[in-house]
Amino acid sequence: MHGLYNFVRGPLAWVAFILFVGGTLYRLIAMLVIARKKDNVVFDYFSLFYGLRSIFHWIIPFANRNSRQRPIFTIVTFAFHICLLAAPILLLAHVLLWDESFGISWWTLPEGVADIMTLIVIGGCIYFLWRRLTQPEVKFVTFASDFVILAIVAAPFITGFLAYHQWLGYKFWLILHILAGEVMLVAIPFTRLAHMIYSPFTRAYMGSEFGSVRHARDW
Amino acid sequence: MKRLRIGLLIGMTALAWVMVSSSIPAYSQEDITSLKDEAFGKGQRPPAVFVHEAHNEKAEIEDCNVCHHVYKNGEKVEDESSEDSRCSDCHNVKKGYPTRPLMKAYHDLCKSCHQTKKVGPITCGECHPRKAASSAHEAEEGH
Repeated sequence: MHGLYNFVRGPLAWVAFILFVGGTLYRLIAMLVIARKKDNVVFDYFSLFYGLRSIFHWIIPFANRNSRQRPIFTIVTFAFHICLLAAPILLLAHVLLWDESFGISWWTLPEGVADIMTLIVIGGCIYFLWRRLTQPEVKFVTFASDFVILAIVAAPFITGFLAYHQWLGYKFWLILHILAGEVMLVAIPFTRLAHMIYSPFTRAYMGSEFGSVRHARDW
Repeated sequence: MKRLRIGLLIGMTALAWVMVSSSIPAYSQEDITSLKDEAFGKGQRPPAVFVHEAHNEKAEIEDCNVCHHVYKNGEKVEDESSEDSRCSDCHNVKKGYPTRPLMKAYHDLCKSCHQTKKVGPITCGECHPRKAASSAHEAEEGH
């Protein structure tokens, strides 16, 4: 068991983080290069002020018309994304691993709070699954890959929850949890999860075009 | 006056003895089944399971200073040991300097040895089981 644990926690974690960081940089640079080549107008109209103004209105719940029209979706998606980012980064057990490996550490959430946040992420995944299966406007643009991506996101949280509570097969769930986390990290730059990288840019460009070209609000 | 002074001295000595003796817990190593350290206060996880005698028998540890070490100028002193003092006397809970913080000291000491020997717990839940009884048994089996 030492061997398997050390493998997923050591070399495989390195591979996952290198692919995540490298892939993210690659996608960013590729996006800029393609935009320069095919859609240079993006750079001409890009405005930092209008870009940030738009991001500001979309990063706050109910600060834009779209989110007011879909209050339940807004609450779920905000809770989901906050928990998705904060719980793993501020998790005591994860920070201890950073400290153990690199001697760096930061503030951590109480474990009980992180536990609830994990449930919020899992609940969010179930909500998104239900939405994709039943809501016509989403169902129409849903492909098999979307379900795979949902599973990739849900897996580290489900396995992490089971490992944390140590109900049955602790080490099995722990190793599966580490693997699931690594799969998700690698999937971020190479699947539609790349909206994590792209969303600030698409939002900022929309804001720029609406603000400085159409002189209209985009929220 | 002199008699009063002697009486006072005896009284003070007796009081001091009572205070000192009652503050030293009557621990023997056979009693230790977990690494509960008061310095931590209320921890988020249960204290690490550690059956002192069974562990050392299984791990064939005879020298106390394998764990109860003494460091001077960053070097381990080979023929000295520190089982008469608490880990937290040197390892502060929050500020580590010049030693490791208490939790890191425990984690590093236990895990590094388990890693080297390729036996014994190295993951969170193996040492800090939520259900103490069942997992203590598992930990003892040396997975």
